[in-house]
Amino acid sequence: MSQIELINIKKNYMGTEVVKGIDVTINEGEFAVIVGPSGCGKSTLLRMIAGLEDISSGELKIGGKLMNNVSPDQREIAMVFQSYALYPHMTVAENIGFALALKKTDKAEINRRVLEAAKMLELEHLLERKPAALSGGQRQRVAIGRAIVKRPKVILFDEPLSNLDAKLRVQMRTELMRLHREFGSTIVYVTHDQVEAMTMAQKIIVLNNGHVAQMGKPMDLYRDPENTFVAQFIGVPKMNLLRGNLQADVFTLQSGQKLQLDCGYSDGVNLQLGVRPEHLKLELLAQGSGSENNSEHSWTVDVVERLGVESFIHLCNAARDVLVLRLEGDCDLQVDSKVAVRFDCSHCYLFNDAGVRLLPNSAAMHLAG
Amino acid sequence: MVTLVRPANEETIMTHYSSQRRAYLTLVLISLFCLMPFFWVVLAAFDPKASQFLQIPDGITVNHFWNLLANESGVRWVLNSVGIVGTATFLTLILAGFGGYALSRTQAWWKRPLLYAIILVRIVPPPALIVPVYKVMLFLNDWINGVINSLTSDVAQQMLLSRMFSFVDGYLGLILIQTAMQLPLAIWIMKTFFDAIPKDYEEAAALDGASQWQTVRHVLIPLALPGFAAAGLFAFINAWGDFLMPLMFTSSPELQTLPLGMFRAFLRVDAIDYGFLTALAVIYTLPAVIAFAFARKFLTQTFSGGVKG
Repeated sequence: MSQIELINIKKNYMGTEVVKGIDVTINEGEFAVIVGPSGCGKSTLLRMIAGLEDISSGELKIGGKLMNNVSPDQREIAMVFQSYALYPHMTVAENIGFALALKKTDKAEINRRVLEAAKMLELEHLLERKPAALSGGQRQRVAIGRAIVKRPKVILFDEPLSNLDAKLRVQMRTELMRLHREFGSTIVYVTHDQVEAMTMAQKIIVLNNGHVAQMGKPMDLYRDPENTFVAQFIGVPKMNLLRGNLQADVFTLQSGQKLQLDCGYSDGVNLQLGVRPEHLKLELLAQGSGSENNSEHSWTVDVVERLGVESFIHLCNAARDVLVLRLEGDCDLQVDSKVAVRFDCSHCYLFNDAGVRLLPNSAAMHLAG
Repeated sequence: MVTLVRPANEETIMTHYSSQRRAYLTLVLISLFCLMPFFWVVLAAFDPKASQFLQIPDGITVNHFWNLLANESGVRWVLNSVGIVGTATFLTLILAGFGGYALSRTQAWWKRPLLYAIILVRIVPPPALIVPVYKVMLFLNDWINGVINSLTSDVAQQMLLSRMFSFVDGYLGLILIQTAMQLPLAIWIMKTFFDAIPKDYEEAAALDGASQWQTVRHVLIPLALPGFAAAGLFAFINAWGDFLMPLMFTSSPELQTLPLGMFRAFLRVDAIDYGFLTALAVIYTLPAVIAFAFARKFLTQTFSGGVKG
């Protein structure tokens, strides 16, 4: 059993609360990713699970056992550090086998297990090298080897890919997923990169300012964000948010543009309409046509990002609302040209002033029932 | 500064070379002038007719070294110096290791004031400390002699114990004084060194199941070796060259260290034996050179590669 339960976990640093009561359960064998911006408390949370930080209050259970006051080496966990922390004076083989050597494991057994881990990570030819003679990706793999050789029930990763270049990062992502499949250990992975979270996680825990903003399966978070923080954190480019008022299912932007939402929301003022870049459609306004002068419907092209396979168009309107819109393939839009934008209202989200998601009356009633 | 770029014709290149040659010639002359005393020391040490003048020896002899080791108290001086300075360096390294580590890792408010207080000991000229230190040592000396007298009534044993453990005119006192003198710089070196060793290594070791002692033994000491080498080298060379403290805290001829022995040999009323003195000087110089040669490997060794890419 290697289920991890965090029950109202808090952390204080000299009177400042950095982790403010977290309740999370990570199931046995699950790949859980804790994601959030810098300073949200995600690394502190991971270090509390590892036993490198004291828990100010709350309970941490691993495999059903209370671990608050158990030393790190007794928790049957391994950790891969952001800096890798490979001992520079030891060879790759010594680095991987260090934990086993400390336990006075039989030398032949150490060699066998080091070799086994090295084979899995394609490190066999590097076993006699020192870390200084390895590339970034190789060091990363040695750090993982050091973690798996102990056969831990739980492996913790603290932003392990952040020091690698973009190409290696993609490669290591797939390797990590493969390792997880082969090993079946519970993995807790901390990152600030939502792409890593979306691609690898079975469960994402979004942290914001010491709180859990939302947790769930990656696509659930993408499709059903509970607040503007998650809505904007998950997905690249982030979700567009536009302020406005709602009356009789008509959402009026600050510019005066009216959008018909037909889902039956309650009326309200100072709301936020959320829509993802891929759910917007572009309509060119013909030069000199009447609609060009209809300023509440016209948007100005600010920046065009052409990536080949897709293009992102940054738009602004008279009320200084900003929109990012995604187009398939290339586009030859000119900066400063005027366009109209069509909203796919079936994919719009509504949030209140405080950023909490509002549900259509039918859905709210359904949920309440 | 304005630099004029001229076409590189033959004439300017020649001027450039000749001015460079002049510069090198001057440097060589200055170097020769500086090296002259060392030449004299080495030549005279092997010269059968050594004198106070620089001269090419008629032949080569090692008699001066034999004299020093066989007839005079030379062996005792060398052993005293090696014993006292070696032990003091060892103690300095142990204490500086602990102190430097603690000062590097603590976040307490008193860290900075304490660090400056430590270096202040180094900044104060040693002669200014003689009187208070002597007072303290004298007080401790009375106490330790009381203890020794109560332990044994055999005079010979008392003499021996007193020589070993006295704070004034005893090995222990001199070792402690030397350690105290070298400790501030060593603590600073070690503190700076531990600052550069990320805490991640210790945390990784803790997760690997290492105890405190195992972390120190297998991780911290190997990582800090270049720091220990630097701190040890400075401590050894400084203590080896120290003249003032042995002069103040020893009076028995049996306790004399090399610099004191040299000084006394030079001050003898009868004719000065330059061969003997220069042989002593060569022996006196050697350990520092050897220590440097050993430490150089660690001093130049970088320990990058364990952390990040």
